[in-house]
Amino acid sequence: MSGMLAVCQKELSTYFRSPIAYFVVAVFMVGTGYFFTYNIFLTGNATMHETFQNMGILLLLVIPAVSMRLFSGEYGASTMELLLTLPLKPWQVVLGKYLGAVAILLLMTAATLIDLVPLYLFGNPETTTILSGYIGFVLLGMACLAVGQFFSALTQNQIVAALLTVSVLLGFWFVHNLQSFQTSYALRGLSRHLSFSLHFGAFIQGLVRSEAVVLYLVVCAIALTLNASYLHWRR
Amino acid sequence: MVVLESVSKRYGSKTIIHDLSFTVEKGEIVGFLGPNGAGKTTTMRMIAGFTAATSGRVTVAGYDMATQNAEAARQIGYLPERPPLYDTLDVSAYLRFVARVKGVPRSAITAELDRVTAACGLEAVFRREIYKLSKGYRQRVGLAQALLGKPEVLLLDEPTIGLDPGQIHETREVIRSFGEVHTVLLSTHILPEVTMICRRVAIINHGRLLAIDSPSGLQRAVEQTNRVALQVTAPAQALREELLSVEGVRALEMHASPGDNPVLSVECQVDAREGVEAAIARAVANRWDLHRLERHQPTLENIFLHYVSEAPAAKGTA
Repeated sequence: MSGMLAVCQKELSTYFRSPIAYFVVAVFMVGTGYFFTYNIFLTGNATMHETFQNMGILLLLVIPAVSMRLFSGEYGASTMELLLTLPLKPWQVVLGKYLGAVAILLLMTAATLIDLVPLYLFGNPETTTILSGYIGFVLLGMACLAVGQFFSALTQNQIVAALLTVSVLLGFWFVHNLQSFQTSYALRGLSRHLSFSLHFGAFIQGLVRSEAVVLYLVVCAIALTLNASYLHWRR
Repeated sequence: MVVLESVSKRYGSKTIIHDLSFTVEKGEIVGFLGPNGAGKTTTMRMIAGFTAATSGRVTVAGYDMATQNAEAARQIGYLPERPPLYDTLDVSAYLRFVARVKGVPRSAITAELDRVTAACGLEAVFRREIYKLSKGYRQRVGLAQALLGKPEVLLLDEPTIGLDPGQIHETREVIRSFGEVHTVLLSTHILPEVTMICRRVAIINHGRLLAIDSPSGLQRAVEQTNRVALQVTAPAQALREELLSVEGVRALEMHASPGDNPVLSVECQVDAREGVEAAIARAVANRWDLHRLERHQPTLENIFLHYVSEAPAAKGTA
């Protein structure tokens, strides 16, 4: 446990001693701020609905910047040799790093709360819908990070890790579009169930559906398990 | 403390380590010698638990590295070939991280950091970011990391590379004092280093162990005879008889010095045991003027070349 926390703390200090954390949070704040202002003036409604939609897509592009260095960076600096020979089990390394990355995600999320200030000042938004939107956003981000971390473990090259992550995440985001090409009922169901965006859409409408929560958590669990097994197998 | 039992490592169809077996006892400093690509680093990595052996067994402090990796890791301090440093962290944050992972109790961390900082001479850079450090300092931060938590076994892959002569001396002292109580296995290119600090030397090439013995044992194994050179003012015939009567002298060659100088230069082939040159000195100095007496032993360099150049032959027979 303490080993895992030490890894997590090390990840956080690495994020904050390099420009990544500040850059990612700033870019995300500016992006959401832009979409928020645009949507508010366009629709005239005191709602986060459209903004959340845009935040989802923006997230898919920002997450790889956070996750790409998690393992690729260690290979490059040959610190993997240290991590795997210290008294740490692979799952401790994987979870420690993941928690560090999730902390950055939470920081990104918290930074967008500033948009709620004018919303509550000049309008009367639905708090529960906003809350479920944020729950969905964090769950989506956690699933994306886990996928990104796994791809980062597969390659020494951070750019390759980021590109692999973006393509897989876009796949998960748009997979429901395949529905129209399927004649089999099972395949249609599958492509709907796997879709990150359909589930996220439910969250931002105020629905916290258990199948959505389960999908995101299962993706996290599978990606992190694969990640730990890969580290073990590499030896 | 460290036991390798017929360990092999293959990457695909390429075998890097062939059936390697040796043991390092507690309180012993063992040097690991071999040309580039001999398999030193791979062997170190297998002992440290970074890579697993394809076959055979590696045991460290009684723990099998294949199954009890994490338990064994507590007993090992490892300095890889390239010091594993996080460039963006400062030295203190880096060492603190390693100490925490090694399970140093929170209250003891500061004292432990002070200990390794002093041992490795890092006081001046303690608060500096690692990417700003010179190669020598980076190497020493890597060594400090390995010393943290007082591990039973220290594995050092070329620990003095990139250091200046003063630092090399200090680092050797650190290793030597550590090796008095703990176990050290170090790989190196620098031959005198091995004679200076190691009790035993393992020579490997092409992934095979060619020899493991004390430096003097290797010397005996390589050359059954040593040479003693002396300069004496004496009649040639009487000197020859006198020298051949000394126990341990096998053969000798005599050269008269040029000109009228009555000094004779003699080279004796003697047994490779202690005290032969003293017996010669007594026998000669009793009757004549002895000007110079020197015993030549094969250097580790010769021994190393002897074993390494034999390696292809060994490969053919295996």
